[in-house]
Amino acid sequence: MELTNQFIFGVGLLLTVSILASVVSSRIGAPLLLVFLVIGMLVGEQGPVGIHFDDIQGAHLIGSLALAIILFDGGLRTQTSSFRVGLKPALSLATVGVVITASVTGLFVSWLFNIHWMAGLLIGAIVGSTDAAAVFNLLHSRGLELKQRVQATLEIESGSNDPMAIFLTIALIDFLLGQYTSFGWGMAIEFASQMGIGALIGIIGGRGLTALINRLPLTPSLYSLLALSGGLLIYGIAAVIGGSGFLAAYLAGIILANRPHQAAQNIRRFHDGIAWLSQIGMFLMLGLLVTPSELLPVAGQAMLVAGVLILVARPLAVVICLLPFRFPWREQVFISWVGLRGAVPILLGLFPILAGVEGARDYFNIAFFIVLVSLIAQGWTIAPLARFLRIEVPHVTGASQRMELDIPGQHDHEFVGYQLQPRSEVVNWPANRVPLPKQARLLTLIRNGEPLDKPHHQTLQVGDYVYLLTTSRELPALDRLFGASAEQERLEEHRFFGEFVISADTPLGDLADAYGLKLPYKGAASELIGPHLYSRFKHQPVVGDRIRFEGFQLVVRELEAGKITKVGLKIARSPNKRAVKKRSNKN
Amino acid sequence: MDIIDLISPDRIKCDADVTSKKRALELLSEMLAASTETLPASALFNKLTGRERLGSTGLGHGVALPHARIEGSDKAVGALIKLEEGIDFDSFDKHPVDLLFALVVPEHFTDEHLKILADLAEMFSNEQLCESLRQANTPEDMYKELLHWQKQLKIA
Repeated sequence: MELTNQFIFGVGLLLTVSILASVVSSRIGAPLLLVFLVIGMLVGEQGPVGIHFDDIQGAHLIGSLALAIILFDGGLRTQTSSFRVGLKPALSLATVGVVITASVTGLFVSWLFNIHWMAGLLIGAIVGSTDAAAVFNLLHSRGLELKQRVQATLEIESGSNDPMAIFLTIALIDFLLGQYTSFGWGMAIEFASQMGIGALIGIIGGRGLTALINRLPLTPSLYSLLALSGGLLIYGIAAVIGGSGFLAAYLAGIILANRPHQAAQNIRRFHDGIAWLSQIGMFLMLGLLVTPSELLPVAGQAMLVAGVLILVARPLAVVICLLPFRFPWREQVFISWVGLRGAVPILLGLFPILAGVEGARDYFNIAFFIVLVSLIAQGWTIAPLARFLRIEVPHVTGASQRMELDIPGQHDHEFVGYQLQPRSEVVNWPANRVPLPKQARLLTLIRNGEPLDKPHHQTLQVGDYVYLLTTSRELPALDRLFGASAEQERLEEHRFFGEFVISADTPLGDLADAYGLKLPYKGAASELIGPHLYSRFKHQPVVGDRIRFEGFQLVVRELEAGKITKVGLKIARSPNKRAVKKRSNKN
Repeated sequence: MDIIDLISPDRIKCDADVTSKKRALELLSEMLAASTETLPASALFNKLTGRERLGSTGLGHGVALPHARIEGSDKAVGALIKLEEGIDFDSFDKHPVDLLFALVVPEHFTDEHLKILADLAEMFSNEQLCESLRQANTPEDMYKELLHWQKQLKIA
C-alpha cells in the first residue's frame, strides 16, 4: 500500500519535473531527450535520489513498447508526398548505410579495444542506426523548416533503419554465441524475411486498421485508443511471426495517416501526447538504468569511437548511399551530421546482456556514452548548422489556431484562426475588401469576446479574432494577410526566394530578352523555365533549390504534384560589387 | 547610380486615380515618355506589359516595380506613382498595389539594370519608407522622402 503510493508519487514527480525541464531546455537550446536522460541519471542509483533500477528485462520491455509507439506516431506524421523525394535515398541509407556505418565503426572498435572483430562489429551494429525519436523530436520541436528533400530523407531513414540495426545486432550475438558458423544464405534469408514480413504486416495491418476505424461507430475518444492498440497489435503480430515489428508499426502509421479516416485530428493529437510520454518514459528509464560510474572507465575510448562514428563512418555511409541520388554537398553534410543516436543503441545495448554475451556490460556502457556524445554534440548544433548550410526554408505557416474538419468527405478543409496584431497587413481594412485566396472563406469575426454580425461588413481591428475556412494550400497566402508578418520575415522571404516571382511556363528566351541575358545553349530560347530547371537539377527538385542563370538565381518557389509551377527570380549581387558601391558612396 | 538620380518630382504622381493594372502601366509610360522625349509612350507600355507577362513585378505588400530595357534610350529613368486606392497587380501575395516605381534602362544596361532593380527592391522593402511615401501629399514630399532615404543610406 505504502509502496504503491510512493511509486505513484515518484512517477508523477518525475514526469512533471521532466516536462517542466523542457521549458528550460528550449531556452538554452539543449536537446530535450538529453535532458530526460540526465534527469534519469540524477534520480538513479548514484544521484542524490538514489533509486536503484537494474531490471534489464523490464527495461527492454518498456523500451521496445515505447519505441513501437514512437515509430507508429512517426509514421502518422509522415506525408506520402515526402516519399517522392525521400523514399529511395532513405531506404538506401536505412539498409546499406547501416551496414557501412556499423562495419566502419565496428572495425575501428575491434582495433581500438583489441577484441575479436565480431565483437567489434556487434558494437558497431548497436550504434548503427539513427534514432527515430531523437530525429523526429529535433526536427519538429525546433521549429526548423528544412528543405523537403533533407527532411523527408532523414525522417524516413530514422523510421526505417532500426530493423536493420536490430537484425545485425541479433545476428552478431547469435554468431558470437556460436549459433551461426559463417555469414551466409541463412542470414540473408533471415534478413529478407524480417523485412518482408514486417513490411507486409505493416501494409496489410495499416489498411485493415484504417478500414476498421472508418466502419466502427465508437465514442470519439476510443478511435485514438483503437489506433494505438492497432499499432501495437500490428507490431506484435509482425514480431511474433518473425518479422520486424518496428518496421510494421512505422508503415502502419504512414498508411493510416495518408488515407482518409474518421477522427483524424483526435488520433493525431492523442498520439502526439502518447509519443511524448513514451519518449520521456524511455529516456528517463534508460538514464535510471545506467550506472554513471561505470561510464567513466570507458569514457576515453568511447569518445574516440563516437568521433569515428560521427566524423568518419556516418559521412562515408551518407556519401556512398546518396551517390545515385546526387544530393547537393551541403545537404549531404547536413544529413551526415544529423545521424543522431538515441534510445535504440541503448536499447540494443541491452540485447547482449540479455543473451549473456561476455563483456556485454561494457558494450552497453560504450553505447550509452556514444549516445550521450551524439546528443550533446549533434543535437545541440543542428539548428545553427541548418542555417549555416542554408538548407532552411522560410516558414510556411503562422496561423495561431488550425483545426482540421472531421466531416467525412471534407478532409481537405480546415478552420484557421488569427488574432490580428498591430503589424497584421489587413488591420483597418473593410473585411470584404481583403483579397482572400480562392479556397478561403471568412466565417466569423470575434471582437471583445463577442462574435460580430455580418463579419463581411466590418472593419478589421487590432485584437480581432478572424476565423476562416480554407485548405492547407492557401495557408501561406492567409498568413501574409492576417499573420503578424514582421518586416524581418518579408526581408527573409525576399532574400531567400528573390525579388520577383515568374511563372514556370515562361520560355527561357523571353526571360533572356527582358534582361539581356545570354542563353546557356542554342535552342534554349523556346525551352520553358520549369522543364529547364528540371533538366538542370540532377535530382527531384524541392522548394528552395536554385540554379545560377547569368546575373540571376532561379529559385524553385512552388511545386504541384512534383512539377515546378512558380520560380523566384533573385538578383545575384556579387559581393565585390557591393563593396565598390559602398566605397563610392563614401566618396 | 543612386536611386535618387533616376527620379525627379515631375516624374512622381501623388494619389493618381487609376483603377487597373493596365491603366497604371499606361500612366507610368506616359510620364516616362514625357521626360525622355525620344521614346513614344506606346513602346514603353508594350515593353512594360511584356515583362509583366513573365510574372508580376509586384514585390508584395502593395509595391510594384515594373521595368524594361528600351532601345534608343541613353540613360536609366524612373517614374513613381502613388494610387489613392490599391489595384490588383497579380502580386504573389494578392495584395492590392498602391506604390509603383517604373524603371526603364537602355538596352545595353544589363548588370546595371539588375543592380538598380536590386537597390529598388531593397529600398521598397523598408516599411518605414513605404509608410512615409504613402503619407506624403505632394510629389515634392515624396521626392523629399526618397532624398532622405538616399542620404541615410550614404551615412550607413
